[in-house]
Amino acid sequence: MSCSCHSAARGRVGWLERTLAGIASSIEQAVFTEEHARRRGWLQAVDPRIKVLMFAAVIIAASASSSFGVLAGLYLLLLAAAWKSQLPFELFVRRTWVGIPFFAGIVVLPSIFFGLPPRLFDVSLGPLQLGLSLPGLYGATVFVMRVAVCVSLAVLLVLTTRWSDLLKSLRALRAPQVFILILSMTYRYVFLFLHTMNGMFEARKSRVVARPGGREDRRWIARSMGALLNRSFKMSGDVYAAMLARGFTGEVRTYSTYRLGMADWLALAGAFAVAVGAALVSRWIR
Amino acid sequence: MHIPDGYLSPVFSIGMGVATVPAWARAVRKVREVLTTRTVPLLAIFAAFNFTIMMFNVPVPGGTTAHGVGGTLVAIVLGPWAAVVTVSTALVLQALFFGDGGILAIFANCFNMGVLLPFTGYWTYRLIAAGAPLLSVRRLWAAAIGSYVGITLAGLAVGVELGLQPILFNDGGRPLYSPYGLAAAVPTMLLAHALGASIVEAIITALVLSYIRQHHPEYLTSLKAVVAGAGADMGPARQRPVWQLAVIGLVVGAPLLLVAGLVTGGGNVGSLFGADWSQVDWPGVGSMMLVTAGVGIVAVPIVRFLLPERFKSVGTAYTVAAVLAPLGLIAPGFAFGEGSPDDLMKELGFVPSGLQSLSGIFSAPLSGYNLPLPWFSDANAPLWHQGLGYEIVAVIGILLLGAVVLALGRLLRGREDAPGGVVGGTAA
Repeated sequence: MSCSCHSAARGRVGWLERTLAGIASSIEQAVFTEEHARRRGWLQAVDPRIKVLMFAAVIIAASASSSFGVLAGLYLLLLAAAWKSQLPFELFVRRTWVGIPFFAGIVVLPSIFFGLPPRLFDVSLGPLQLGLSLPGLYGATVFVMRVAVCVSLAVLLVLTTRWSDLLKSLRALRAPQVFILILSMTYRYVFLFLHTMNGMFEARKSRVVARPGGREDRRWIARSMGALLNRSFKMSGDVYAAMLARGFTGEVRTYSTYRLGMADWLALAGAFAVAVGAALVSRWIR
Repeated sequence: MHIPDGYLSPVFSIGMGVATVPAWARAVRKVREVLTTRTVPLLAIFAAFNFTIMMFNVPVPGGTTAHGVGGTLVAIVLGPWAAVVTVSTALVLQALFFGDGGILAIFANCFNMGVLLPFTGYWTYRLIAAGAPLLSVRRLWAAAIGSYVGITLAGLAVGVELGLQPILFNDGGRPLYSPYGLAAAVPTMLLAHALGASIVEAIITALVLSYIRQHHPEYLTSLKAVVAGAGADMGPARQRPVWQLAVIGLVVGAPLLLVAGLVTGGGNVGSLFGADWSQVDWPGVGSMMLVTAGVGIVAVPIVRFLLPERFKSVGTAYTVAAVLAPLGLIAPGFAFGEGSPDDLMKELGFVPSGLQSLSGIFSAPLSGYNLPLPWFSDANAPLWHQGLGYEIVAVIGILLLGAVVLALGRLLRGREDAPGGVVGGTAA
């Protein structure tokens, strides 16, 4: 899991502060997402089932492409879609680039010095022959660009679709009913647990004066995990009792009032055209 | 360990579904067989629990933090099939909602962390715990080692998946996806996990399990039986899992050593650890091993018999170490930083002049870790003569060190420990 640590204060920021910051940013992200998914933009209006198919097609096309031109074109289209969907432009770009693509850039960096010739220079370092390889540089750029496009697509899908709609649309992909029910309940309880965990960590932070050693800290973490596990068991019993009381018989029924309109079909056709076009153009343009 | 989209080829990513989807289907059926409707809230809430404990930052010596996955913990408490569902659900949630791990790569991520991890963790746990009473210490060790093996194997799987990309998907030698081959990706992922994340996971799993045993032991008996349909074994055996530990150690240690050897040897099997193994005089080594074994068979029981009770186990252990000392003679070349100027001359072709002048100033009485007698240290002496010399020097060294430590202990005895810095209470 990538660590998104927003350290408020400079200096020593410990595990406790980091965990608290992680909880806060998760909740913040969820609220932020829900807020944008409710706006009246272009993608928000598209039927969620259609949207999942659209994004699946474009993600597959993007990850199959190894042409910089095609990937850059897809990214421009993506930006246009984000703009039409009333997403704050700067935030969208920052959220998608700072993080996974940036990390991918660091990961891929050494590979450009071991690539195929032609190389800009050659340095021999013991048994290693280092050199800035032009094909290696191109490959690395395409790699980072592809990761960025894929991540942006995922973020765009999530930012423009409400969680409940996203889950219902998974049924269009023939995901089993039980899985979807479990996913939606999990999502609900994740926030309850985050809240509980927040309380535990804040209680700890406000009651401890000294800085106990790592051993003591790890013990405390293990104890709070154990307490959380105990709570999970108790809660699952309570929830089950409540479900039974409301007539749950093991069968899951959901209703959906979605109706596909002309605009939905057009959007789907457009996305498929983009995907097929990207696949075709990738063969010719490097 | 979450692979983002773009690192794996789409064909490969979706192909991983062939392994993952049947596992999911079987897991759901397996868990539902046992409890029809009770499953849904239990799995959902444990998936949330799993998600949450992935957020716990654990302080690691060195000032940084790491976090665990908890797959083995859930597998031990709920059974491995339930763990498949809960970890996978948490991973899907992370990918779809928090952007951790790619959407196409979901099958690969769920396979590594949601299927491979709980199963290897759980089976290692079962193997080591085999029949131990539920509240035995052995179960804690089993949980720690199980989670260690589980995460390390998941890390290895990530390394293999990434390392296969440039082999399977390249354009005339130019890698299209993750650019590092097996030789780079596998050791990197394996070592990064084996020396870091896996240790954290092992400690946390053992600590949490010990908390549960102490405060909620009922979860370790009835619930697992309820969820996974497996009886909780309460066998009478109560011994340390010595041979199981040895087996696990070998299984985990040997590939790690091999990988480390290959890395330092530049990928060539003939030069593991960068040494030329063809130079070794194997018949000489054989006779030395025979002599060593003989010395060990005679010396170790005698030492054990003669030593007073206080030093019995420690003394025996050190004797074994001294007897085994000549094994170091097998390795060709010299240990880095310990070579004499002659060794350097052979290796580098020149001797730094400063070193040459310095080395004459102090010449240790037992230089080269051998006795200064021709029978032991002559260049043409058989290897087992040298081996005996090593053993005698090792004994002398251990006795000298022991004397120093005892003397220091005498000096320090009676003094109080430095005042500790732990103040403050804890509450949750």
